[in-house]
Amino acid sequence: MMHIALVGNPNTGKTSLFNQLTGTYEYVGNWSGVTVEKKVGVLRSKKAKMIDLPGVYSLHPLSRDERVVTQFLLTESFDEILNIVDASQLERNLLLTVQLLEFGKPLTVALNMVDVAERRGIFIDQAKLAEALRVPVVPVIARTGKGCDQIEHTLLEKVTGQTEPFTLFYGEAMERAIERFIASWGTEEQFPVRWLAIQFYEGNSYVRDYVAEKWPEATWRSLYEQAEKEVRHTEQMSLAQFIYEKRRSFVKEVIEQVVQRTEIGQVTLTDRIDAVVTNKYIGIPLFLLAMYMLFQLTFDWLGAPLSDLLDGFFAGPLTDSVTAMLEAIGASEFIRALVVDGVIAGVGGVLVFVPQIFILFFFISFLEDSGYMARVALVMDRLMEAVGLNGKAFIPLIIGFGCNVPGVMAARTIEQPRERLVTTLLTPLMSCSARLPVYALFVGAFFAAHQAIVVLSLYVLGISLALILAKLFSLTILKEETSVFVVELPPYRMPQWQALWRSTWDKGKGFVKKAGTFIFGGSVAIWLLSYVGPHGVNVNMDDSFLAIIGGILAPLLAPLGFGTWQAGAALLTGFLAKEVVVSTMNIIYHVPDVESLQGLMATHFTPLSAFSFMVFVLLYVPCLATVATIYKETSSRKWTMFSIGYALVLAYIVSFVIYQVGGLFGF
Amino acid sequence: MVAMTQLRVGERAKIVDLSQVSDLVKRRLLDMGVTEGAEICLKCTMPLGGPFMIENCGQCVGIRRHEAMNIQVKPL
Repeated sequence: MMHIALVGNPNTGKTSLFNQLTGTYEYVGNWSGVTVEKKVGVLRSKKAKMIDLPGVYSLHPLSRDERVVTQFLLTESFDEILNIVDASQLERNLLLTVQLLEFGKPLTVALNMVDVAERRGIFIDQAKLAEALRVPVVPVIARTGKGCDQIEHTLLEKVTGQTEPFTLFYGEAMERAIERFIASWGTEEQFPVRWLAIQFYEGNSYVRDYVAEKWPEATWRSLYEQAEKEVRHTEQMSLAQFIYEKRRSFVKEVIEQVVQRTEIGQVTLTDRIDAVVTNKYIGIPLFLLAMYMLFQLTFDWLGAPLSDLLDGFFAGPLTDSVTAMLEAIGASEFIRALVVDGVIAGVGGVLVFVPQIFILFFFISFLEDSGYMARVALVMDRLMEAVGLNGKAFIPLIIGFGCNVPGVMAARTIEQPRERLVTTLLTPLMSCSARLPVYALFVGAFFAAHQAIVVLSLYVLGISLALILAKLFSLTILKEETSVFVVELPPYRMPQWQALWRSTWDKGKGFVKKAGTFIFGGSVAIWLLSYVGPHGVNVNMDDSFLAIIGGILAPLLAPLGFGTWQAGAALLTGFLAKEVVVSTMNIIYHVPDVESLQGLMATHFTPLSAFSFMVFVLLYVPCLATVATIYKETSSRKWTMFSIGYALVLAYIVSFVIYQVGGLFGF
Repeated sequence: MVAMTQLRVGERAKIVDLSQVSDLVKRRLLDMGVTEGAEICLKCTMPLGGPFMIENCGQCVGIRRHEAMNIQVKPL
């Protein structure tokens, strides 16, 4: 099957086009809404596969997600490139197109947002553009799917023989340098060596690593320095700047031929929204209000009633009918206990939170798709600068509220490596939706009158600690690096239902899947451990293996206010996934539904120790999936261990202080 | 010729000199089409020394105040 790579600038509607072209089914390589890893989908006609790559301005990477594209071009095999180009920002989009053309693979330009451009008075002659670039140009409106059939048709047309690759003339001195590189390289590559040479001279770090693997440092360094010297001599510019200027003058020429402008001095909707949203005085209050609404909707107004409904169903009709069915087929008491007290209690206890989690993901997707997320980075930059990070680091933190895994991955868009590291390390402090079931359980039992405020206090605690630690880390780890902040603020767009639902599902399905695998397995294991003890099976739970294991931790946890074996066991299993804490408690306390569990817990916790427990769950070790992602992203065992270690220490200290100080005040 | 920070909100200007801007920020600005000779408009500024938002060809970009201080512009 043919493989087509989809490449383009950020905010050009790339994901919309991908969704339109590939239909509803796709394989998503990651959990995140922001494309930080490659996604693979099958075209509607099932004739080719399409790979959605992260949005980049240039092949010369500054951040880690940009490296993905260059890496893909160099190392993966594919047949064609579909380059999506924003018609209203033709100049900067074509700068990337030139680099892709030089790569020599058959290329089709999807000219998106022609309607937006025309409204701004920009009219593009598509036939002339195709002629100037010598590739097919297809106008599309990715949001509505207009022109997508034409794209698919163009892509699938038999790629007839290799036409000679596009070459841009870079001037005498540069061309000699390119010649020298090609002559020394020798080996055949899947792409034009000329492309490699140009990228190398431009200072593309990924390409340089690629070259350095083959050549000793002296060889490539002398080639580079010779070129740099010659160009500086003739052009008075650095190599990178010179190559950029050459491309730009070519792009300008093309634009001159194909674009007609009329002046339309109209105030756009984006301008009007921005006048409010990024207003000097109300920008920050508005953001806080938006977050408040988000949490109210998720946890109170919409989420809670839906969760209650689901809980009622699991506890009532489902348990009854399963019990009846098991009796009818004559299952043993052991099987009945395993299914009802282990699986239904454990998995069901977590599944009831699916509505809330989906609502939260839905709103996060809405913030991303509408273009507001970039404004958040702008509005929050001053605060983040004060703690040594930049406004972009706030986006991973917000995504982290949904799930820490995509949050950690979203940190890739941060340019400075150490800032990225600190953001990666701090994202797990964001209270993800998997911690929500734990809060919901305790808040319902101990703080029924003040649910929202107590949950909110945990979120605020997580953010505050993240900011304080950011300051601390930036004074130690980040010492030698200055923080950098440049952010593109795309025009606002009304997100489309279909796209929103899709990205909500992409993010939320991980949670459902986890319930079917991790939590299912975990529940069975925990139930077995609680059913079996050193003195046989079906023992009193206090004599079970689980009690023994949990009991080891209990004395350590006593100063925090919850020194019971039950709490110890629940926390231990919570490392798998934080919601397993609830599954474990459901199984340990052996009750059919959340309501009776809450009643029972009142005998084991006080409101103060319950709060201390929630704080501990918020902070102690990132879950297994997050730890794996941190390891993948930092590729450092040291930093991964550090992320676990500091979280444990922090959780212990904070819970200790809360419990001890709270005790002094007589709570 | 004045620093960008001298502009009033809503004022238009042409970028004259980017050479004092740090390399990484300059690369990003070039990527987004904010180059010497480009026409920009200061859209808004954030309080307490927060970032600036500028518009260039219908495209908005946020940068920090101290970077804006290093960008020389000519008001139009």
